[in-house]
Amino acid sequence: MILGIGFDNPFLVGMIALALLLGLIFLGVRVVFAAAIVGLLGLVELLGWGPAAGIVGTIPHSKSSAYALSVLPMFVFIGFLAYHAGMTSALFDAARKWIGWVPGGLAVATVFATAGFAAVSGASTATAAVFSRVAIPEMLKYGYDRRLAAGVVAAGGTLATLIPPSAIIVIYAIIVEESVGKLLLAGFLPGIVSALIYAGIIIAWATVRQGDAPSVRGFTWDERVRSLPGVLPVFVVVFIIISAIYGGWATPTEAGALGAAVVFTLAVLRGTKWTDIQGSLMEAAKLTVMIFSLIWGVLIFVRFLGFSGLPEAFTEWILSLDVEPMVIMICILLAYAILGMFMDAIGMLLLTLPVVYPAVMALGFDSIWFGIIVVKMAEVCLITPPIGLNCFVVNGVRPDIPLTDVFRGIALFFIADVLTIAALLAFPEIVTWLPNLVG
Amino acid sequence: MSDSSGLLAKSDRALIPVENLANLLAAFAIFALMCLGVAQIVMRSVFNQPLTGYIDLVELSMASMAFLGAAYCQRLGAHIRMELFIGRLHGRSLWIAESFGVLVAMGIIGVLIYHGWGHFVRSYTLGDTTIDAEYPVWPSKLLVPIAFGIWWLRLAVQFVGSVRLAIDPTCQPVGVVLMKDVAHQAQDEIHEIMGEDDPSEGKR
Repeated sequence: MILGIGFDNPFLVGMIALALLLGLIFLGVRVVFAAAIVGLLGLVELLGWGPAAGIVGTIPHSKSSAYALSVLPMFVFIGFLAYHAGMTSALFDAARKWIGWVPGGLAVATVFATAGFAAVSGASTATAAVFSRVAIPEMLKYGYDRRLAAGVVAAGGTLATLIPPSAIIVIYAIIVEESVGKLLLAGFLPGIVSALIYAGIIIAWATVRQGDAPSVRGFTWDERVRSLPGVLPVFVVVFIIISAIYGGWATPTEAGALGAAVVFTLAVLRGTKWTDIQGSLMEAAKLTVMIFSLIWGVLIFVRFLGFSGLPEAFTEWILSLDVEPMVIMICILLAYAILGMFMDAIGMLLLTLPVVYPAVMALGFDSIWFGIIVVKMAEVCLITPPIGLNCFVVNGVRPDIPLTDVFRGIALFFIADVLTIAALLAFPEIVTWLPNLVG
Repeated sequence: MSDSSGLLAKSDRALIPVENLANLLAAFAIFALMCLGVAQIVMRSVFNQPLTGYIDLVELSMASMAFLGAAYCQRLGAHIRMELFIGRLHGRSLWIAESFGVLVAMGIIGVLIYHGWGHFVRSYTLGDTTIDAEYPVWPSKLLVPIAFGIWWLRLAVQFVGSVRLAIDPTCQPVGVVLMKDVAHQAQDEIHEIMGEDDPSEGKR
């Protein structure tokens, strides 16, 4: 015991620990250390030094070596390799030829090409970076408004967090102990719906202000058909991951491994330099260890939370409120929107879910549905100021487009995202239909 | 440059190859996991002969991916944190805050090294094996104290580096992570993804 409260009042210990955790994180202590040390100190207060340190000492190894987590390094590796597999130009070219004729055709094509790339990448900033290079020059050439051109690329990147393979969805699944496969499937339709709403908003803009986003016509059917083989690998990877999970012929890890192998082979066939492949692997290892550290760090804190009874108390309090569950849900989402402005999405989810998730479940919401909504919220934060990393990435690749223009261009897509979230709240079937088919 | 910063710079440089090697091993483990997954699919669906102990092998190998790169990640400042407050600090106050954060880290990682080692020793003396293929578990558990040991050394370098700058903020920074603004983080992301071909054609 440190404070001398111990098991007399575990709830009080929980509250003190929570305040300490928030304080450390606010001071800039890295989340893994803050969560782990507060978890340790809390357990010491409740159980004494010996048992507490004994519990904490085994958590990093035992929690990190669960088979379900092994899908993460695979998805992360795919994300870093995807650019080198060189499907971006092929995707954009095909999308342009097939749908360039609609108003705002090139921007709409960019949305679908980013959705396609998202299906092999899973990394939001990666998608934004890659398409800043491929799609923005083409749009500017046809006289597109540069705010729109930059905005569509920054927003298109966020599709990657919903469309499988998505690391952040896997992290949600693991922290709430839900089926990784079902959650991955669940992200697919909302990803498509997001893309369609983006496309709809662009078409509306282009119809009102035709000079901003002219359509691109004059492609023959022959040209269209010939643009297809280039995008075949995308469909192969999508097919592997969706069908493996849906049909159950491989675990998510194995499907991720096969997808990575396909992307790796393409990268090698394209003559990618060995240093680049090694670089992708080193980056994948770095991001993997970052995610795993967060997971065990937060799980040390979660173990303490379990002893403190804090999640149950929070749930009871939420249930005692005489408010419609949907109103509470909207409040939770708004809190995430604010939090997400200042914090990395993965850290935000890991830190909040242990307390928020049980309460949301007690309110009667579906766990898969909530996961997809929260992940969508987290991705919206990738395009909102003050951090909005995707906007900085677009500006980084295209220094000639000022950041203010990127943020202005993104405003429209922010509205689209709000519409998407509203659609997911109103029609949960968009999320639950596909995973429920698996049973 | 004083003698103390000379020693600090030396320890910093000495650690870098060790961290790089550890992260490279983690990278190879990821590549091996990919190969293993493909092999398992092929063996099971084509030859109807799944690899024995596949899940055990995956679970044992995960310690290398989960821990070996920790110090490398620390050196590059890639373990996430909230920079809302600390990002506004400058000079002495910044380095005092950094020293504090690293001290917290050294405390918890120190505890985890000690108990991670105990966890390994128990497993080694008891001859713990996996359930299915009965592989020994201790090599995987040994990775925790090893990787965290390297991590702790990196933290120690960062701590000395931060305290040195807290005492005299005008010194040349050695062995610390310099904070980057979002624009620089974005450049890093771009470089991580696109590798050697510079997307902005050198405009930085």
